[in-house]
Order: sequence, then structure tokens, then C-alpha cells
Amino acid sequence: MTRKTFHEELSELEAITSQMGELVLHSINGSIEAITACNMEAADETIERDSTIDALYHEIEEHSLAIVARQAPVASDLRLCFSVIFIAIHLERMADLAVNVAKGAKRACPMEGVAPLIKLVADMGRQTADLVEASMKAFSNRDIELAHKLPDMDEPIDRMFKAYFKELAKHPDEESLEWISTIILAGRYLERIADHAVDIGERVSYLVTGYSSDAVEE
Amino acid sequence: MATTFEVKNLDFYYGDFQALEDINVEIEGSTITAFIGPSGCGKSTFLRCLNRMNDLIPETRVEGLITLDGRDIYTNETDLVDLRRRVGMIFQQPNPFPMSIYDNVAYGPRLHGSPSKSELDGIVETTLKQAALWKEVKDKLNSLALSLSGGQQQRLCIARVLAVNPEVVLMDEPASAIDPTSTQKIEDLMAELKERFSIIIVTHNMQQAARVSDHTAFFMADDTGKANLIEFGNTDQIFTNPKDERTESYITGRFG
Repeated sequence: MTRKTFHEELSELEAITSQMGELVLHSINGSIEAITACNMEAADETIERDSTIDALYHEIEEHSLAIVARQAPVASDLRLCFSVIFIAIHLERMADLAVNVAKGAKRACPMEGVAPLIKLVADMGRQTADLVEASMKAFSNRDIELAHKLPDMDEPIDRMFKAYFKELAKHPDEESLEWISTIILAGRYLERIADHAVDIGERVSYLVTGYSSDAVEE
Repeated sequence: MATTFEVKNLDFYYGDFQALEDINVEIEGSTITAFIGPSGCGKSTFLRCLNRMNDLIPETRVEGLITLDGRDIYTNETDLVDLRRRVGMIFQQPNPFPMSIYDNVAYGPRLHGSPSKSELDGIVETTLKQAALWKEVKDKLNSLALSLSGGQQQRLCIARVLAVNPEVVLMDEPASAIDPTSTQKIEDLMAELKERFSIIIVTHNMQQAARVSDHTAFFMADDTGKANLIEFGNTDQIFTNPKDERTESYITGRFG
């Protein structure tokens, strides 16, 4: 009584989730490009892509619910159905945050005279994108070791965000309030994106082991 | 109620063929335990060991220990009629006796004692109510049991078991031959009845096992047909996070 069609449906669910992850990564990279290089094309693409990402989120949710209702999955199959919904929520939030960064760039560009801050955003952005990519890789490969490394990857990002304020303190008052606040918010959004990636890692950990990572540590 | 089956190092043979190997399990009182596994995995054979129904099959042999309430049920002193009163059984096909509804329920109490007519009337009414059948049959207690629908017949069989106050009820695929509404009634009934006695159910319907049971036992046979108890645990755990890969593969439909 093997359930071929059912397992094909699960694979498809997983594929859509990975696809959503790739699109979100594009958006994150696009938003970083927008804010650090004032690339308005990248900003617009990031903003436009959001509706596709939202649609994928709904597709994953509906698909999972349908599988639960019709196939009554159990064990790792059941954990997959629930985990992808949570992963999709995190991805959807990440995409929204990327849109916020892109919109900030559109409002505040050009931003002159804040080179050290731009460099900070660029560094932070790169590490955040790496973290997001790692979280989705952990999901695709069921790589629990990688999932457990994500909090460590998040630490420097949190530190960099704190460094913003030191950097800001050096700037004279005549700097435009508009882009100073935009830069701070961009840093905040990236830091939140990184946190969502860490949460995805926790979901992967649950998906693989059946225990939440908090429980494993105890 | 503390009645428990304790099974230690149980082997079972049909002639030379070993069907069960080294089964160890403890069944708690007031619980529902589901036995699952692919066809031929030994779950029904094991179930029938628990009230010695296999004794009816020639050339069968049991090694190891099965105790009920701490007492070995495989001794020569065991009174089989009494054992099967304490450990009742419901089969896949409803099998009411070819007599009236009333007499089906009254059969056991008459066999195990000599109750008065009014006592019997009371037992029949109470047990039919407990079996969620009273409303449907109270005006035709003298009709033939075989005139009832399949689902009603199965509930009548449950009433027949209840009438002799069992301590454990074994159910071998009790709902596989009946309609979904009756299945629902029987599942509801199981949840109510487990306060009074333990239920052990063999089912091919894994969702049924997941719905009704407190504990789940997964059986599987090796290439020679010898069956083992692979995993026993809380039903929540078995169906969300089984420990054994073979359990995982089976319940997720990857083999079997």
C-alpha cells in the first residue's frame, strides 16, 4: 500500500517552498543593491516580486492543508506539512522586510556622505543573504548540522546592527534625517530577516528530529 | 482498574512455522491499544494468543509467558470459558447468534449464572444502552438479530460482550466491514468503554488507530514470516515521531 501520488505531492510542496526561498533571496539581494548602490531598478523588482512571493505563500498553505485533509499524513510527512507552512510564513515576512528596505532606498536616494554606513549595510546585507541561503539549504538537504550553525551566523549580524549607532554618532547634525533614518531602518530590517532565517533553522531541526531545537538543548 | 496483560518472551508456532518471535509488551488497564502492521505481520495471531483463541487451531504452540492480572493464562488450570468472559472478543464480521436480539445479549449472563427474568431484562437494557443500540432496537427485542444492519449487528456483538463484564475486550478489525456512521459510533463507544476495561484493537486503518488508541504497537514480519513487535509507544509519539525507521516507513506508506 505505498502511496506514490501522495509522496509526489509532498515533493512538490517541498519544491514550491524551495522556489519561494530562492525568490526571497533574490529580493533580499535586490533590496541590498537598492540601498547600497541606489539601484532603483533593483528596488522596483524587489517591490514587484512581493506579490509573486505572497502567492507562493498562499499556495504552500493551501497545498499543505489539502494534503493534511485528504491524505492524513503522519510522522515526518506530517512534520513536513506543518514545517513548510511556518517556513513559508518566515519567508513571506523576509520578503516584506526586503520591500521595506527597497522602498526606503526609493525615498532616500541619493544618499551622499554616509559611505561608512553604506559599507556597514553592504556587509550586513551580504552576511544576512548568506544566512538566508544557508537556512534554505539546511531545509532542502535536511542538514541539521547546518541548521544548528545558523545562530552563530546570526551573531555578527546583531553586532553589526549595534555598530550602526556608534557610526551614526560620528555624523554631524546637518545629515539628512531622511536617509539617516532609512539606513537605520534598513539595518533593523536586515537584522530581522536574519532572525527569521534562524527560525527557519529551528523548523528544520524539528522537521528532521521531531523535537524543537530548544528541547534538544535541555 | 489495574488489569494488565504482561507478555514476556512470547514465541508462537503454527506447527514448525514460527509466527511470533520474542514478543514483550505490557498492556495497561483502562487504555486502548492498537496493533498495526502489514498483512501477515502477526498482529491478529498475537491478539488471539491473549484469550487463547489459537487453542482452537490444531498444531499451534505457545512459548513464553502471558499473564493477566499477574496470573499465567497458559496453565492447565486456566478455565477457558472464564478466560474468554474476562477477555471478550469482537470479530471483523459481526457474528450474532441466530436468535433474538434479547437472547443474544442474555446468552452470556445465562451461561455464567442463573439470573432472574427481571435481572436479565435489566442487563439487556443496560448493555444495549452502553452499546449505543437501545434506541434502535428497544421495540423489537424479540426480532432476529440477523435482521439488523451490519453496523447494528456489530454493536449487538459489543453488547453481548459487555453483558458478561469483561476486563479486556479484543477487537479484530471491528469496523472494517461496516459503514462509516456505524464505525464512528463504535469508535465513540470505545472511548466511553475504556473506563471500564482495556481494549486492544487490531486495525488495518491507520487513521483509526491514530484516532482511537492511547498506545500503538507496530508489528512486522521478517523474510521468513517470523513476526516481531518493532515498536510500542504512545500513539501521539508513534504517529508524529516514531523511533524506528521501519515504523516510519510503514505508517507513512513507504512500504507495506
